[in-house]
Amino acid sequence: MKLRKLFTTDSVELNLESETKDEVLKELIQLLGLDDKSEAILFKTLKRRENLGSTGIGKGIAIPHCRSLVVNELRLAYGRKPEGIDFQAIDDEPVHNLFLIVAPPLEVSNQYLPVLGKIAQFAKDPDIPEKLQEIDEATQFLDLLEERAP
Amino acid sequence: MMSPDPNTDTMHPQLMLLMELQDLRSQHRELEKDDGSAPVEREHFHIDPAEARAQLAEKISELEERLDPQVRARYERIRPQRERVVVPVINGVCYGCFVSIATATVGDQEVHQELQSCENCGSFIYVVS
Ligand SMILES: [Zn+2]
Repeated sequence: MKLRKLFTTDSVELNLESETKDEVLKELIQLLGLDDKSEAILFKTLKRRENLGSTGIGKGIAIPHCRSLVVNELRLAYGRKPEGIDFQAIDDEPVHNLFLIVAPPLEVSNQYLPVLGKIAQFAKDPDIPEKLQEIDEATQFLDLLEERAP
Repeated sequence: MMSPDPNTDTMHPQLMLLMELQDLRSQHRELEKDDGSAPVEREHFHIDPAEARAQLAEKISELEERLDPQVRARYERIRPQRERVVVPVINGVCYGCFVSIATATVGDQEVHQELQSCENCGSFIYVVS
């Protein structure tokens, strides 16, 4: 599964406005276009995952992820916070690039874990953070995925 | 920025609990399976799967305690039979058994504020608008 196919321009926000970890999780969730109740449940579930250990994996990257019954297919979103945000990342550095991954409880295609691993690989690529900072439009993000995560 | 709390006032509190439980169980099960999330969580997120499972199990018990006795009884009854206790109803179809549910049942969850279940498979239902 190509990562490019899992994003749309609607699920990409290059200028996140939030200033806190909770707010930024909500802002990312909003990119998925769920109803209010689903957003509320998803927020709780993502927070519970964060409580197990931050998904801020270092180098300015966070990958909040979970399974939740509020989605019926794998859903992804990308948000960028150019000034950075405190996400209690493992290296204590501010987070600039956030990838949200939400999978339904059961998936026929079992894409969740491979996609999670692929996103982590992509984001950890040494020159990716810089490339992400240079992007001006959502389509460029999709192009970068196409090019670097074929 | 404006970041209103998602509106859950109209949701049955017990349904909210059941959905949270369901999600926690999904993460717990995922960490348990041989081909589950444990390797990814360990490698990329530095999570100790056993510790994470223990934390989740504790939270699950805590939430189960908060279920009303009748809801709890039903939850315990459904749980061994199906992986999902709460299922979404999308376009009138129960995603537990893929049978159409009478519109009177799904109706407007916000109006009657009742905990609803599928007449066919017995799962608690959650109507996706
Ligand atoms: Zn059913």
